Amino acid sequence: MLHYMVKTIKKLKAEGRGWMGCAFCHRFVLLGVILAGGVAVGAGGQAGSEAGVQTQAHASQTLSTRVVAYQIEARLDPVKKTVDATETLTYHNLTGRPLDAFPFHLYLNAFQPTATFMREVRLYGTRGTDPESGWDAKHYGAIEVKSLEVVGQGDFTKHMQFIQPDDHNPDDHTVFQVKLAKPVAPGADIVFKIAFHDQLPEVLERTGYKRNFFMVAQWFPKVGVWWHDAWNCHQFHASTEFFADFGTFDVKATVPENYIVGSTGDLVSAVPNRDHTKTVTWHAEDIHDFAWTASPDYKLIEDSWTGSAGTVHIHLLLSPGHERSIRRYLDVIKGTLDRFDKWYGPYPYDRITLVDPPQGAGDAGGMEYPTLITCGTSWWMPEGVRGVELVTEHEFGHQYWYGMVATNEFEEAWMDEGINSYTEAKVLESLYGKGTSALSLWGMAADDADALRLEYLALPDTDPMSRLGWQFMNIGAYGGITYGKTATVLLTLEGIIGEGTMRRAMHTYFMRYRFTHPTGTDFIKTIEEVSGQKLDWYFQQALYGTNVLDYEVLGIRSDRLDWFQKDAPKPKKGVTLYRDTVLVHRKGDFIMPVDVRIKFDNGEQALERWEGRDRWVRFSYDKKAKVVSAEVDPQQTVRLDKDFFNNSKTEEADRRATCKLSTYWLFAVQFMAQLLAWLA
Amino acid sequence: MSNLNKSPFVAGLGLVWRRQSVLWWIFAVNFVLACMGAGTFARQVSPVLDHSLQGQALVHSFNPIVLTALLMEARGAPAAGMASACLVLVFFIFMLFVEGGLLEVYRLDRRLTKGEFFEASGRFLWRFVRLLIMLLIVLIPVGIVFSLTTRASHILDERSPSPTPGVWVRLTGLLVVLFLMQAVRLWFDMAQVRAVAEDERAMRRALGRAFKITFGNFGSLYWMYLRISIVAWLLMAVLLWIWVRLVRPEWIGVSFLLTQLVLLSWLGTRLWQRASETIWYQRRLPGVVPKLEAAHAPPPPPALEPEAPDFNPPVAGTSDLGEAA
Repeated sequence: MLHYMVKTIKKLKAEGRGWMGCAFCHRFVLLGVILAGGVAVGAGGQAGSEAGVQTQAHASQTLSTRVVAYQIEARLDPVKKTVDATETLTYHNLTGRPLDAFPFHLYLNAFQPTATFMREVRLYGTRGTDPESGWDAKHYGAIEVKSLEVVGQGDFTKHMQFIQPDDHNPDDHTVFQVKLAKPVAPGADIVFKIAFHDQLPEVLERTGYKRNFFMVAQWFPKVGVWWHDAWNCHQFHASTEFFADFGTFDVKATVPENYIVGSTGDLVSAVPNRDHTKTVTWHAEDIHDFAWTASPDYKLIEDSWTGSAGTVHIHLLLSPGHERSIRRYLDVIKGTLDRFDKWYGPYPYDRITLVDPPQGAGDAGGMEYPTLITCGTSWWMPEGVRGVELVTEHEFGHQYWYGMVATNEFEEAWMDEGINSYTEAKVLESLYGKGTSALSLWGMAADDADALRLEYLALPDTDPMSRLGWQFMNIGAYGGITYGKTATVLLTLEGIIGEGTMRRAMHTYFMRYRFTHPTGTDFIKTIEEVSGQKLDWYFQQALYGTNVLDYEVLGIRSDRLDWFQKDAPKPKKGVTLYRDTVLVHRKGDFIMPVDVRIKFDNGEQALERWEGRDRWVRFSYDKKAKVVSAEVDPQQTVRLDKDFFNNSKTEEADRRATCKLSTYWLFAVQFMAQLLAWLA
Repeated sequence: MSNLNKSPFVAGLGLVWRRQSVLWWIFAVNFVLACMGAGTFARQVSPVLDHSLQGQALVHSFNPIVLTALLMEARGAPAAGMASACLVLVFFIFMLFVEGGLLEVYRLDRRLTKGEFFEASGRFLWRFVRLLIMLLIVLIPVGIVFSLTTRASHILDERSPSPTPGVWVRLTGLLVVLFLMQAVRLWFDMAQVRAVAEDERAMRRALGRAFKITFGNFGSLYWMYLRISIVAWLLMAVLLWIWVRLVRPEWIGVSFLLTQLVLLSWLGTRLWQRASETIWYQRRLPGVVPKLEAAHAPPPPPALEPEAPDFNPPVAGTSDLGEAA
């Protein structure tokens, strides 16, 4: 069976086609399974209260190399905020060598005061808002492994050993390892039976509870990834995310009967129990993580979108007070699905669930899990502030850049967050217009690409993009480089190879590496292959270096050629001959070929190309015209340039911008003064 | 006096109009001080913007990201912010200083010489400083009310899955705090009016009596104050709407005029409140005005310092309201 699966994937890759080619099969299977699922759901009598009352779309075909198969039965205690569960993990040893040790992630153990995560939070902050200010017991989280049995080898509970591969902090219990009595032979399976108890924290780092809202994520012991001839199982850090193998998940969760639930994967059944609970069963394939959510306050909004791989059911789990955002959520998710389908490749799953966290649970928002994303809005958010759209688009983008193209988020964070930020800028611009894709309100306008560039400008030279996720200078540097710089690097790359080529390269990259764990090298190779260009010079600087790119026009000058004549005639436009010079300086260490456009007062223009290898260049012309302006990179394709203001110089001063800003400043100062004077 | 037939609300507007030189002077000081701040800012951004084509992105739209990038490049921008903050403080001190002269102008409803104006300003400065300290003390409980409503809204936010209850509490709390601040401001306004009208030196006593006057006539006084505030907010909203909706980004001159109109209306309505309060007080205590007018008559300078007891006995043992009635 496994052999068949691998062969299928290889065949799909070799043919350069993916799920699109199986659309008919997809729809056929979908129809059959919906009917079967309808019966199961009907038996449970819970159809109206579940998000995801659909079933597997592609039961007959595998998309990934399935290394793991998880079966989990969990019970949520909404009062104690705990989950008690049993997990059966079948691991298929495809490493080609015997394995005698297995590391597991216990992510929830990060939320303890002496854990590495908290150390780092104290040192340099984290993505969320808590708990930088201090330790609060409500943020305590834990996974306690009650028992661990290896089928055929006995109970290994006492042989579990916490390991700290990244920082050797003995108090960090986010990874444990178990050494087997007998190694698992290549090609063989091993089955772990684990009983565990979760104490959920009040929402932080996109997991936990808030009142009766539960976002149950990173909640089960998850095995590491055998990658590049070693186990890859990092501790949970303040700035890093996740990495896991593809496989199948069969999850049963027992929750109070009035709770509305949503999850990764497809709902198989929802069966009421006698104790006013219900047991919900989900099945998911070709994914590498599983998260679920439950709350009695959700309102389920359903919609659908049809793309090249068939119909995708959209489930929006809306929290109270956010009704105004329904249309915005649905519009942006459908628009995003459409652009990704057209530009990068088909979305092969039959659903996407959007979780809208309730009031006070904002830290649960803005996170991606396979076929489930958490978004975020507020009751007041104006239409022109594209916060809802940005988060929803970004998290959906992760279905591609993390979900399917499953890069190592610990080690190469730029490959998921950065590439995703690049596609975010492209999609939002396509949906909401150039210059207004982030903001269009009360005469103010801003572009998402500019916002990403601004993130980079704040800390442009602290860390290379290629740095391991937890080794950045601080959380600001991590964010600025991983999201902002990567997006800006790729937007600049687009200027080098062309937008169309870049899109084709991204499509090829997705189709080739979906359901695998590619590296940065794979990405670069794909770009070079599709563009037909050697881009090593660019990536060496942009990806592996910290050099800053900054070109400036140092000076422009028009000097009369007859300057030495005592009786020279008065200058006359179109008659007097000038020596026009333009001095361009490479201020930063990043070397990049740039265009320089020089304009003259007779309407002529000159476009020069400078390779930028030297520190400066002087362009010189003898003309019957004076130079009016000079501009480096007039199309602003070199978005990595740190300072756009010094990219140009005009002969004559144009004080309008200064006047305008000063007017605003004047108004602000006067107004503040009058406001304070109210006290006098 | 034709104003006698008009309500203090309308008469106050007329008074501001008649004595508009005060408004223009204060506005001019506000403008000049802010110009100094804006000049500092302009000097910081001018070298970056004036010869750069990128500056045009700021002319033809208002892009907060380009603006942020500019502030990152214009290294002196924080210094410009500090300078402007200092100038805001200077204007506050200036207003505290001229408050006495301003109220004297409205009380006498005649053009004062520079000497008279600044003599009155100086005479009441220290008294108003003391009032300011008392005002800050009185605002502490208002701050506590604000803090309590904020805390209550946070608790609701914690307990409720919906933002609505917290929002309503926050909004109600804000309205309550706004009302309290207006009430307190009105009370202290009346204390200032009384201090000027009666040349009251004891500010605690002035405050106590103003309390009785204000809250004894709270309905009519507050309604007058609130109506002017509403006019101010409406004017500001309309002008800002015009600015945002109808004025194109590159119409810098029009923007300038509109913003100045906003500020002029804001200042004008505040002076309208002061003028109306003065008129209201004079009508309630009609005997005070001629005496003070006489006391401030130019020929005998000693009369500029009226003896407080002359004005105080009538109100002793009875409420100001009673005397006014």
